[in-house]
Amino acid sequence: MNVNFKMETRTSEKNVPIIGLQGEVDVYTAPQLKQQMISLLEQGAKEIVVDLTDVDYLDSTALGVLIGGLKRLREIDGNLMLICPNARIRRVFEITGLDKIFDIHNSEQEMHTAAGKETA
Amino acid sequence: MGNGDSPAQVELIIPCRPEFVGVARLVMLGVASRMRFSYDEVEDIRLAVGEACTTSVEWAERNRRSDSTIVLRSEITPDKLTVDIIDTAGSRKDEADSSDDQDKEDLGALLITLLVDEIKIEPGPDGTRVRMVKHVGQR
Repeated sequence: MNVNFKMETRTSEKNVPIIGLQGEVDVYTAPQLKQQMISLLEQGAKEIVVDLTDVDYLDSTALGVLIGGLKRLREIDGNLMLICPNARIRRVFEITGLDKIFDIHNSEQEMHTAAGKETA
Repeated sequence: MGNGDSPAQVELIIPCRPEFVGVARLVMLGVASRMRFSYDEVEDIRLAVGEACTTSVEWAERNRRSDSTIVLRSEITPDKLTVDIIDTAGSRKDEADSSDDQDKEDLGALLITLLVDEIKIEPGPDGTRVRMVKHVGQR
């Protein structure tokens, strides 16, 4: 068991799976995230949300897994969205330029509001 | 630092395996926190060292060297932190890697160059030595 990492998948009010992560997402724990995304894709998910609110460390392995998920979802006209209010974690996306590729929101609420505007 | 500004060394040896990269990060957090770095700079050092160790771990897996190690050697002086990451993970010669692996490694390398002031990579047949330097009060 790893006390530095937890993963729990819930469903949003719009029935979109949200993978909630806690702790350190790195070379040791990112494979679990990858596995979970693959299994959601196999179940037919076209949209997946990854909630990084409680993540305190994220490395290139985690970024690689998220990019892989985004690629596969975009291939089927889907999308991967991120919830990331933590400035330190957001900085990793910013310095690598990945903040321009991912849909990053500060909260689930903000994400729903943005989605509502798009469909309106 | 307790003893004025005299140089100090901290050394750690870990197995070159995924579950130990977090241990290297913890040590770097401790070392960098004892210097005159800002909070963000300490984070940069932790991430850069984590990335270097991750690359070592990935090569150890690729080269099937589960018994290899990483030596993490930090040298602390008043004006800079020098960290050597020396692995015995074998040669880093590319052989038909999947593009995903390549992307991930490029991302790791990019992060390191953005986070520290100097980086030097010396590949060898038996392993790789990475040296990174972060200066105090650069930003």
